[in-house]
Amino acid sequence: MNRLIILSPLLILLIICLFALIYLLSNKDPSKPPSALINKNVPNFESNSLYEINNIIKTQDLKNKKVLINFFASWCVPCKVEHPLFFEISKNYPDLFIIGFNHKDKSDDAKKYLSEDGNPYNFVGVDSDGMIALEFGVFGLPETFLINEKGKIIYKFMGPLTKEIIKNEVVPLL
Amino acid sequence: MKLCHSCKKIIFIIFFVFISFFEASANEVLEEKVKNLTLELRCMTCQNQSIYDSEAEFSNDIKKIIRSKFEEGKSEKEIKLFLVERYGEYILFKPMLNYKNWFLWAFPFVLLVFGLFFMAFKMRKN
Amino acid sequence: MSSLIGFVSLAMAVLINIYLIVSNFFIKYNNKVFNLIVRSSSFLTILSFFSLMYAYIISDFSNFNVFQNSHSEKPLIYKISGTWGNHEGSMLLWLSILSIYGFFFSQTKKINLQFKKQTLLIQSSLHILFGLFIVFTSNPFLVNSVIVKEGLGLNPILQDPGLAIHPPVLYAGYVGYSIVFSLAIAGLFTNNDNEDWIFITKRWALISWTFLTGGIALGSYWAYYELGWGGWWFWDPVENISLMPWIAGLALVHSLLMAKGEQIMKKWIIFLSILCFSLSVFGTFLVRSGILTSVHSFASDASRGIFILLIFFIVTGFGFLVFLLKSPESSKPINFLSINKVSALVINNILMIIATLTILLGTIYPIIVEVLTNDRISVGGPYFNSTVIPIMIPGFLLMSIAPILSWQTNRIKNARLYVLGFIVISLLVLIQSYLSTFNTWGVLGLILGIWIITASFISIISSYKIDYNFRLLQKINPHIAHIGVGIAIIGITCSSVFKNEYDFNLNEGDKILIEDANIKLEKIEISNEVNYQALRANFLIEKDKKIVGNIKAGKNYYPVSKMITTEAGIFHEWHRDIYFIVGEQKNNNWFIKVYINPFVSFIWIGVLIMVFSGFVGVTKK
Repeated sequence: MNRLIILSPLLILLIICLFALIYLLSNKDPSKPPSALINKNVPNFESNSLYEINNIIKTQDLKNKKVLINFFASWCVPCKVEHPLFFEISKNYPDLFIIGFNHKDKSDDAKKYLSEDGNPYNFVGVDSDGMIALEFGVFGLPETFLINEKGKIIYKFMGPLTKEIIKNEVVPLL
Repeated sequence: MKLCHSCKKIIFIIFFVFISFFEASANEVLEEKVKNLTLELRCMTCQNQSIYDSEAEFSNDIKKIIRSKFEEGKSEKEIKLFLVERYGEYILFKPMLNYKNWFLWAFPFVLLVFGLFFMAFKMRKN
Repeated sequence: MSSLIGFVSLAMAVLINIYLIVSNFFIKYNNKVFNLIVRSSSFLTILSFFSLMYAYIISDFSNFNVFQNSHSEKPLIYKISGTWGNHEGSMLLWLSILSIYGFFFSQTKKINLQFKKQTLLIQSSLHILFGLFIVFTSNPFLVNSVIVKEGLGLNPILQDPGLAIHPPVLYAGYVGYSIVFSLAIAGLFTNNDNEDWIFITKRWALISWTFLTGGIALGSYWAYYELGWGGWWFWDPVENISLMPWIAGLALVHSLLMAKGEQIMKKWIIFLSILCFSLSVFGTFLVRSGILTSVHSFASDASRGIFILLIFFIVTGFGFLVFLLKSPESSKPINFLSINKVSALVINNILMIIATLTILLGTIYPIIVEVLTNDRISVGGPYFNSTVIPIMIPGFLLMSIAPILSWQTNRIKNARLYVLGFIVISLLVLIQSYLSTFNTWGVLGLILGIWIITASFISIISSYKIDYNFRLLQKINPHIAHIGVGIAIIGITCSSVFKNEYDFNLNEGDKILIEDANIKLEKIEISNEVNYQALRANFLIEKDKKIVGNIKAGKNYYPVSKMITTEAGIFHEWHRDIYFIVGEQKNNNWFIKVYINPFVSFIWIGVLIMVFSGFVGVTKK
């Protein structure tokens, strides 16, 4: 019994070191928590188009479609960096419905940005007060979500997308 | 029933203490509610700060939402659930009492019980 | 040039120690030579450290570390403290302090020579492990491949007097436990039946604990006036990391004290000795591996993390393995009556170890959960407040009467006086609370704090002849330490439970009234300092129509790093702090937040008394 008690610090040490090692090797980013919405239904939202006020998109409209949702803003610098990549995605996957939510931005600035840098989105929704972003658990820009035909969120990425990430993580899910 | 003098005093004191707790909760202002809740929530764009303490845009947005939800009549539990659904349990500074965290909450209690048994055991030996 | 000297002396210091360990198996060194070898390694390590500091002082940007972390416009003091304001430099500071402790330990006179040698060998092994870590993963002497004219500047938050001195003092605490560790292991190897070992360990354990207390207090005080949130403890992972060895160290010091009463829990003391340093190394790992986010973490990469994890595994594993294999036989049975000093100290130890383990679990639990479920959770202040504080309360209660308990018997001198005192204090606090604001924690904390102070005074007066000399000071030292704790508890309770906050929108010339103080916002000024631009709001504080204070609060803008820091203005009174924060400007009005923190100064006073008591304790024979 005594031996067991004296052995316990070593056992605890082993367990702690094992967990720490696994954590270190799995390359987790402490500043990017895993999403709480993975495998959950896409949240309810309703958004006007940036270009036509009467063109409204609702959650139900996304049924039976594969959807890519990207939160961006004209004032967001990393968004500009990932912006061109969406054209490629749109070209290679024409069945994919791409929505861009313009987050906490001025309509004029957004329209100017999209006319200068191009508009890769099938629909540009306005999220001026950030409430839609909140429903998606977004807290920084840019963030990108992938939704399958059954309406479940199957992927989330925080930060600007890169060619590697698209190739390794997004494409397999499309 | 005849009560002894000091027993009456004790009941009196207990009664007053009880009443003061009651009054306090009935009078809690909206801002107090918001403050108490946001003290327990993590600002997702800061380094280990609470939403209450933080001036970040994210924190101000959340404070607004919480205030309006309280005004709608939602309870603290409902609001916490709302936020956890979207941001994960990471946003709560106080771990939820669920299957994942039972060990965390039980641990100190279990250790205390062990400690007590240890003491009793050693004293009996003497 | 200084980088070359720095690197070579560091490498040599490590090599000398490697040589010492290896050759010790074949050569039996005479003590003078042995000490000389050890001290030369210490000297070279310290030389290395000062070479780095020199590079900072002269702003030698050919050194990559200096280039990354310094700037020629920084004031000299912050150039110097910049030496340890980064990962590599602070590791070198760590290693240097390790060497300094080894150096001073090698001067110990009254000690079994074989035991001393063993201790120094273990200490040298520790030096090798950390030295290799620095040389291979955290070299502060890398050469800058580009020729530059200016450095990248330091984080402005680090340009602060409190923060400049916080790491050296803190490390003096953490690293001091290396000697305690080495003593324990050496003791196990040499089967030390010599009771001298207890007294030597006690001295070094107390020195480490005292420095650690000071280091933690400096960090807290810095957070209080610098971070601008008015708090001083956040249960941030890095704070928890410093608290664990502090509590364990406290348990160790108390257990070593029991040796005076001829009750020696050898196994337990050895266990704690190994534990304290293990917690220090684990803390180093958590902070520098990038595994946790906190206000405090250094930038890092995975390879460093794995290296330190390895060091942690080796040091702690080796320590507990030797403990398992060579654990000493139980000595005399312990005199365990229901309420004597021994049982009080045992209960104290149990409570402290439970507190330490709870903090440990709470700090690493998110890692465990994320590995197992890929979900991220937070374990923050609310958890620790609900668990650790209730655990410590019975400990505090016990603390107040423990010093006057007898070693042998159940009797307490003047027992009735203490019980009466406790009841009176409790009633007074309850009545006062009923008449003003009732708060359970507030009441509890106040009763506890006042009771500890009162009981300590009763013991001092009733047990000792008041003979003003240093020997009396040494005798009543435990009571002094406890009085310090009592004062700190009052400070902690009042400043957290009874804190008040007021928000205003003010313009120049506006006046506000808070409690008994008339505060006027005199003016807002902008000034240009050496490496930042300062915005300050001047507040005039008036009480009873007399001006008692002029406080400036505002923000600093640092052009090089483009950071804005909040600079709080604090008006200190003995019974409260008035704490000013300046926010954003809307139209012509400035958003001002004022915190009233009652009795917050008691926290620092209490801690100062504890540190003082620690120093007195070290001088005791």
